This record gives sequence, structure tokens and C-alpha cells, in this order.
Amino acid sequence: MLELKSLAVGYRSAGGPLLSDIEVSADPGDFICILGRNGSGKSTLMRTIAGLQLSLDGVARLGGEDVASMRPGTRARRIAVMLTERAFNPGLRVEDVVALARQPFTGWEGRLGDADRAAIADAVAVMGIEPFLRRYFNSLSDGERQRVMIARALAQTPRLMILDEITAFLDLPSRVEIMALLRSHAKAKGQVILLSSHDLDLSLQLADSVWLLDGAGGFSAGTPDALSRSGAVGRAFDTGGIRFSPSQGRFEIGTSGPA
Amino acid sequence: MRTRVTTSSAALIAALAALSLLTLTYGQIALPLADTLGALTGTQSSELARQIVLEIRLPRVVAAIIAGGALGMAGVLMQALFRNPVADAWSLGLLAGGQFGVALTVTAAAFAGPAAVSFLTVFEGPSITLAAAAGVAVAAVFMLALGRRVGAITLLVIGLMLGFTSQGLTSVLLHFAARAGGRVYGGWQDASFAAIAPASLPWLLLPIVVGAAAAVATAKPLSSLLLGETYARSLGVKVTSLRHAVLAATVLLVAPVVAFCGPVSFVGLIAPHFARALAGTARILPLLPLAALGGALLAVAGDAIVHAPWEQHFLHLNNILAILGAPVVILILIFSPAVRQWR
Repeated sequence: MLELKSLAVGYRSAGGPLLSDIEVSADPGDFICILGRNGSGKSTLMRTIAGLQLSLDGVARLGGEDVASMRPGTRARRIAVMLTERAFNPGLRVEDVVALARQPFTGWEGRLGDADRAAIADAVAVMGIEPFLRRYFNSLSDGERQRVMIARALAQTPRLMILDEITAFLDLPSRVEIMALLRSHAKAKGQVILLSSHDLDLSLQLADSVWLLDGAGGFSAGTPDALSRSGAVGRAFDTGGIRFSPSQGRFEIGTSGPA
Repeated sequence: MRTRVTTSSAALIAALAALSLLTLTYGQIALPLADTLGALTGTQSSELARQIVLEIRLPRVVAAIIAGGALGMAGVLMQALFRNPVADAWSLGLLAGGQFGVALTVTAAAFAGPAAVSFLTVFEGPSITLAAAAGVAVAAVFMLALGRRVGAITLLVIGLMLGFTSQGLTSVLLHFAARAGGRVYGGWQDASFAAIAPASLPWLLLPIVVGAAAAVATAKPLSSLLLGETYARSLGVKVTSLRHAVLAATVLLVAPVVAFCGPVSFVGLIAPHFARALAGTARILPLLPLAALGGALLAVAGDAIVHAPWEQHFLHLNNILAILGAPVVILILIFSPAVRQWR
């Protein structure tokens, strides 16, 4: 359903693409984790696939259609994003935030129909944010905010969900809960979910497939197992202090051997 | 929420009607309520009552309702566009910019010679509205660019400072214009709903109606801009054209108010907060009618106080609006959870 063809992403001014010649595809229901260190181009790649930024070369296709040339309204009905950029506004209540997700589906007034209400209620229930629907969005804690923004993305009922570091402010149990929940949501609704995370262990355990950015312009995709065993995870993340152990499937601190 | 908006609107309309009737009835000459109603409906009433109500008081009240409503709606648009809870046409210097535009035009005409001045005088309605629109637009574009660099409160302070600057410049310009012989708008400094000629009312109303329609048309995409530019784009909004449309609507709403009523303070700043509290939402569309009605109510209330039968007649509209409005702004800044959370 999602298909990247010789895609190159980055900023035209900043001397060459961050990533290029990306060839990968994803099927409905795929839960994909994008892993890579800071600055490896995760956000840029995600913004490009979301159609929020032009690609330098190649195309990203969703259901056979080039994302970059889709009409904005069509794209908004198919792709939902959640970004690290903080959404804030005085006077905006949680229910407003979630309801805004239905804008691509409503008429000029933005009046919600039955299907819109159902999608909203569904997303609210899934993320368990019922108790603070009437509160001001700005007054929530970081973790609560992230739940609301995930609910907002779910309420948009997209074919592709692009979630950039959505679990950063959540504690471990909540992170596990939300990642597992999104995974089963993708399966149930046949959506593709692209999620970037610094949670390596969790991602390697839950992802159907992993897109790995090594920070030097290299891109590799595969099942978590295959990438761990091939040493690609180690190449992307090893430093002098930590080292990925393919046999254990996790990082070890201060091990001997070549750093 | 729809019922909240409907009941609030109905209550505001009733209050506005009652207050307007009161303003039409009381003044330096108090009329019996029956006479006021008689004059309004064109049934039996004395010629004097008819004159006072229809020719003196009604244009003033109508101007206050239209201008207050326009400022309230413009406040809603600006607070969303700037993502700033203390934005409004007055506080961010748009009204002062419009005044400055008019002053420049009048001065230019005065120096260009009597023909230009009489041209301006003949085409007073459209020409000063256009001059004000140019000034408002320049100020709005400048403040929007600045708003991307500085925080909400800094922008407010800069807007107020710019207001002082351009008001100073305006009075200097008009001083020279007067010396050059063009005493066209020499007395035009303070805000007032009383200065507008009944014949000019259509010139006040027409751009505002168009601006209100534009505000309603942009309400839905503007709501999504409340989440920020990237989220708005991800919801299918073309952000740049939206900005232009909202700016155009703001100019259409605000320019005629500056042109005919001067720099009316506080109304546009407070009315949107009022509307949000009543509607229980920040979505734009339900706020527009409530802010318009709230703005109109505040404007008529200010005007009623100014024109109450005082012993001496020295009250200025902006002073009254400041007394009514400034404490509300202070309370908003201190206590509103929405503003306190603003970073």
C-alpha cells in the first residue's frame, strides 16, 4: 500500500540529500518502526512521506498515488500525522483538538456527522482520554497531551499514520501499552503505521518491520530479527560506550572488543 | 454546544435591544419610552422626538452596533491568526495604522491643493475607508511578520508602542495639514460613534458585511490553524492562502471602523474571550456571532455612558472603554488558565 521509489529526502539548501535511493514498501496492517540516532533524518523522511515536505528525488506512493501531487484534502483524508512540534493554543479544549481531526471529512461549517462522532468516540475510548475531554489542552501534562494527540490522529481514520516520537514523555508501562495498542489497531483496521522512536528494545520486539537509518545516509529495511543478526542495528547505534549484541537482541554497556 | 451558542446569542440580542432602546430614550433630553418607540415605528410621536431619535441617536447607536460587532469578529480572527490571546485590531496597532493612513492621505491632499481636498470631501466615504484600509493592511502584515519572531506579550507591548507612535505622527501630520488649509479631519483623534453622518452608514456597513462573510468562510480552516501550521497543513489547509484570506477579512472589518469611528479600544480584545467563555469552545465559527454581539453590546454600553445626561459633557468613549475593558484584560492576563499556560 505504501511504496517508496528511489526516494531522496533532505533540504535543497543544505548540501545534498540526507537520505537517498530509498526503495521500500509496506502492506496494510504493517506496524513499522523507524530507528536511527538524532539527526539521522527520521523526521525529514516522515515529513516527506506525509507530503509536508517535497522530496528531492523519487516518489512516495500511497495506494498507487503520489503523495506529493495529491490534492491537500484527499491527502488529509488518507494520512494522519503526529509530530514533535508542540501544538498549543489558549482556549482550545481537548475535545476541540480531537474533533479537528474530522475537518477533512466535514462540510464548510465543520459540523460533525454521525460517522465523525463515532470516529471521535472510538479514538477517545481507545486512548482513554474521556476524563479530560473538557479540560484545556494547554493544562494537560506532557503524557496526557501525547495521548490526546494520538487520539486525534486515530480519529482522522487514515490509511497511513505517521507518528514522530510519540511516546517520548510517557513512562515505560504507558509506552508498552500504547505501542502494543497501535500495533493491534494497525492490524484491525488495515492501516500502515510508521512510528519513529528512541525505544530500541520495544521497537525491535513489536515492529513488523524496521527501517533503520545509520546516520551516514544509509537506509536498511527488514524484520527486526534480520536487521539485528546482520549487524545493521549495531552499525547504526554502536558508540564507544555501548554495543548492540545480536545474540542477546539488546545493548550492552562498556563491552570489550572493537568499539 | 449548539444550544449554548443559540441561548447565549438570544440572551445577547435581547440585552443589546434593551440597551439600544435605553440609549435612544435617555440623553440630554429624556423622552418617554412610548415616544421613542413611536419614532422608531413611524407611528404617532412629536416631530422633536422623531428628530432626536431618528436623526441624532439612532445613527450613533447603529454605528456602535456595527463597529462593535466588526471589532469583535476581527478580534476572533486575529487571536486565531496570531495565536495570541491578547491580539486585536487596537492592541496590535492596526487601528493606529489605519488612522495614520488616513492622516497621510489627508495631508497629501492638503498639500496637493484645494482640488484634492474637495475631491476627498466629496468622496469622503470611500476615500477615507480606502486610506484606512491601506494603513490597517500595512500594520497587519508587519505585525504578522513580527509575530513569528517574538512572544505573545512582547507583540502586545510592541503593538501598543506602535499605536502611540503612529497616533503621535497622526496628530503632527494633521497639525501641518490644518496649517496648509486642509481642515478636513482636524478634530478626528478620539474614538466616537457620534461623528458619523447618517449618509455614511452604508459605507461603514458594506465592507463589514463582506468582511463578516469572509470571516465565516475562513472559520473552518482557521480553526485547524489553532493547532499550528504543520497540523493545519496535514488537515488539508493551504496555510498561505488562508493567512491572506483572514488578513483580507480583518482589513475589511476594521478599516471602516477606523475611518468613521476612530481607534475604538478594548472591544475587539475582550469580546473573543467573552465568546469563548459562553460557547465553551475555541472553534472559530460559533465564536463569530457571539463575539460580534458581545462587541456590539460593549460598544453600545460605552456609548450610552458617554451620552448619559451628565452635567457637563467631557467624557470620551475610549476613556469609558478603558475603564470597562482594562480591568478585564488584567483579569484575563492573571487568571485565565488559557493565558497563564501560554508560553
